[in-house]
Amino acid sequence: MVVSVDEKCLRLTDESGERGVLLGMRCPNCGVCVFGPATFCQSCTSADLEEVELSTEGTLYSFTIVRVPPSGWPGPVPYVLGEAELPEGPHVLAEVIDCAHDDLRVGMAVTLAIQTVAMDGVAGSERAVYKWRPA
Amino acid sequence: MTQFRPGREVMVVGVGLHAFGRFPEQGLSDLARDAVVDALRDSGVPWSAIPVAYFGHVYYHGMSIGETTLAQLGLTGVPIINVENACSSGSTAFWQAYWGITSGVFDMALAFGAEKVPSGPVTVTAENSPARYIGGDHMMAGYALRMKRYMEETGAPASALAQVSVKARQAASMNPYAHRKETYSVEDVLNSRLIADPLTLYQCCPTSEGGAAAVLCAADALDTYGLDRSRAIRVAAAALTSGNYNGRGSDHSAFSPYRTEPAALQAYEMAGIGPEDVDIAQVHDAATIGELQQIEALHLTPFGEAWRATEEGRTALGGDIPVNTDGGLLAMGHPFGASGIRMVHETVTQLRGEAGPRQVENARVGVAQCSGAGDVTTVHILTR
Ligand SMILES: [Zn+2]
Repeated sequence: MVVSVDEKCLRLTDESGERGVLLGMRCPNCGVCVFGPATFCQSCTSADLEEVELSTEGTLYSFTIVRVPPSGWPGPVPYVLGEAELPEGPHVLAEVIDCAHDDLRVGMAVTLAIQTVAMDGVAGSERAVYKWRPA
Repeated sequence: MTQFRPGREVMVVGVGLHAFGRFPEQGLSDLARDAVVDALRDSGVPWSAIPVAYFGHVYYHGMSIGETTLAQLGLTGVPIINVENACSSGSTAFWQAYWGITSGVFDMALAFGAEKVPSGPVTVTAENSPARYIGGDHMMAGYALRMKRYMEETGAPASALAQVSVKARQAASMNPYAHRKETYSVEDVLNSRLIADPLTLYQCCPTSEGGAAAVLCAADALDTYGLDRSRAIRVAAAALTSGNYNGRGSDHSAFSPYRTEPAALQAYEMAGIGPEDVDIAQVHDAATIGELQQIEALHLTPFGEAWRATEEGRTALGGDIPVNTDGGLLAMGHPFGASGIRMVHETVTQLRGEAGPRQVENARVGVAQCSGAGDVTTVHILTR
């Protein structure tokens, strides 16, 4: 069974490792919502946070085509890195897949995609990773 | 809420540099020591009279590297503090030196920084972190995301951003300490290798090695130590901030007031001046877009207009608000721990009127702004 790349950010919802939801933490006190784990609210410092499932649809706030990858990058080169803005507020950075470079647009609708990724030649390194694809 | 209570007036009495570039034969301590010796000579203060030292650096070269470096100058028993604050490590060391004196604890202080940055893309997270699978931990990709958004929102053409690099190289061609001194054209910049679209290689600062140092002294102690008042430059403000929540988190937005603006406003308030009083600025131009965003966050131009000021030559030597007069990170290079103090070095040199062919006429007020991971920002204002 594939495990999530980060269980506090991505919860898998079936055994296939292809379905899941992004997780955020919301502050009932001031309404601020962030992507991923948080113990305290970044805005009001309240510790009274609730976990929420984030929308699987967002819009592309910005993107770049990375030609020189960071060390340890297990995917193809170049790859598209996209910053999606979610309706709940957070921006989520992830690879944008299944989109020709010429079709990329700031403001385009994107939807969550989950793919299994392994570090080259590292046994047991398979992880389910969240990505964006055109909606 | 601003919480500071400035005390004694603080002056920079000496600055020093080790050239920026690649020095495979020299260790970190060699680079740091040479800069310190240069600054001490410039100030006329002997090492034995320095009561405290702060050392900015990021990469690990063994424990207490500040102590082992300064031990080469003699063991004087003074407190030596090793400072890590990402790309703002050097400017944070300078900030601490300022507060050590203004608070009345010390008459003098040494701030120094050095780095040997490895080649290749710079990452922030640990090797086994999930970020490696996500592909988002890439400093220049982060700048590229901001650049794309900035161009989208302001309509800035790629040539305006490239002009930032052209300007940096022009300044550096007159600076013997710079890592990259060859000049090039807008076309050269745009045609250089793409790193992360729309950012090309010549729009990214080189990672470098180098050292920088500054000696600070209380204004009321200059005579006690027999220091030259005519070459002393006043530190009018020293501000340091970390991330400040305003709803944007770590988004790669077109404008970054939430990062730099709070530190800039604190600094202007401390100095009792406004952006209209600034004659020269050294800002954190790790990529071309960084310079434009910092200029705007410092309120030197309205938001969304720094690209136009750049196109019109207003930020070049000879313009009305020269920015990065020594070549900046883009051409000086970026040895993390040294860069923040390198900005102080250039500001002091300009305000003293000792910048040679790069001299900005009648420069009286200089701002030095440095950013680092963790949304660290320092803003220092120096005045003649
Ligand atoms: Zn809250």
